[in-house]
Amino acid sequence: MNIAFCSTGCELKSELDDRFGRTTYFLIYKTETSEIICIENEARMAKGGAGSQAVQQLIDHNVSVVIAPEVGPQAMDALKRFNITPYNQKGAKTVEEALALWKDEKLPLIEEPGAKGLHKA
Amino acid sequence: MKIAILSGKGGTGKTTVSNNLAALISEAVLIDCDVEEPNSHIFMVPRITGEEEIQTGYPVVDDDKCIHCRKCADFCHYNAIIAGAAATMPLKDLCHDCGGCRLVCPAGAITYEKKGIGTIYTGKSRFGSDFLYGQLHLGELSGVKIINRLNEMTADRDLVLVDSPPGTSCSTVAALEDSDYAVIVTEPTPFGVSDMKMVVEMLREMEIPFSVVVNKAGLGDKEVYDYCRGENLSISGEIPFDRSVAEAYASGKLAVEISDENRSLYNTLWLNIRKEAEKSHEN
Ligand code: SF4
Ligand code: SF4
Repeated sequence: MNIAFCSTGCELKSELDDRFGRTTYFLIYKTETSEIICIENEARMAKGGAGSQAVQQLIDHNVSVVIAPEVGPQAMDALKRFNITPYNQKGAKTVEEALALWKDEKLPLIEEPGAKGLHKA
Repeated sequence: MKIAILSGKGGTGKTTVSNNLAALISEAVLIDCDVEEPNSHIFMVPRITGEEEIQTGYPVVDDDKCIHCRKCADFCHYNAIIAGAAATMPLKDLCHDCGGCRLVCPAGAITYEKKGIGTIYTGKSRFGSDFLYGQLHLGELSGVKIINRLNEMTADRDLVLVDSPPGTSCSTVAALEDSDYAVIVTEPTPFGVSDMKMVVEMLREMEIPFSVVVNKAGLGDKEVYDYCRGENLSISGEIPFDRSVAEAYASGKLAVEISDENRSLYNTLWLNIRKEAEKSHEN
């Protein structure tokens, strides 16, 4: 299974990013092989629709769990539709910490979208 | 002639200037293109004679026909379609109604539906002149279609004053379409100057000649004047801060209604603007 983290860098020790749609990188961890893939978030500079472009990248990398700070309403709908489960990264500072917490089932699900997300054109 | 009145940010007095001019010049048509927050109608108090709903299209995907090729999502410049093996999901709030996704879909799975995004009201102001304004529905992201329609509806008029959206957004650019001349309303404060710089750049890029009106003159500092001198911008008028005008404004009355002094102030302003506008088109 592929888990994506919103990260400021490309290592497990990297700090988490505090944005979802505009995160610097998505760090993807494959649970089967412990392999990591780092993708630069193309949506980072998007004028509008960063959240949806971010979800598209997660789909393209077969992600089924995303660990995020907050998810906007549109992206939330899209995650649901594509069966990607969002967990809240709070309490963790780095990707490594978030991964450990997630493995221990200590991260809460994100059930409600955050207010952010709609950027006016 | 079409003259756009704009500002770097809201609240610097572009409505004050455009509405006072519209009240003064009976042959001018005023259009309020600040469709996110129109407020000219508060002063114009129009008798509405026409209403037009503005619609936009958005794609709907037929899941039975979709072959999940993702071409539509790859094509869309606005990230308004997300596509994966499981589904193809248009996001109607992000769609700009360009029609492209239907063209690239090899399976004929895309059709468009319409939704209303706002309304245009047409009428006569309490000063007897023609007045139109648009209102974008709450939650809608782009008023460009409404603005384009306002421009289209007044394209054959001799004199149009445009109350433009503030700043340099897509809406502002749309409002400036076909403008022959522009007037930037600014305040003599450092904030006024920094917001105004972007507008100056935009107008230069669009090759629309313009001049500056300093509102609340006498309140702030000299920075606006220094900037205008440095950039070689002409100032077509100054509107001094006047408490009685501010009070009247708060109760929906315009400066030109409360004293002859103000009438002649705006008269002079208009003559200057018109002169500058005509001059700029001679050469
Ligand atoms: S109509 Fe254009 S903007 Fe709208 S979803 Fe299709 S391609 Fe994107
Ligand atoms: S282009 Fe047509 S067939 Fe291909 S994913 Fe989009 S809707 Fe489906």
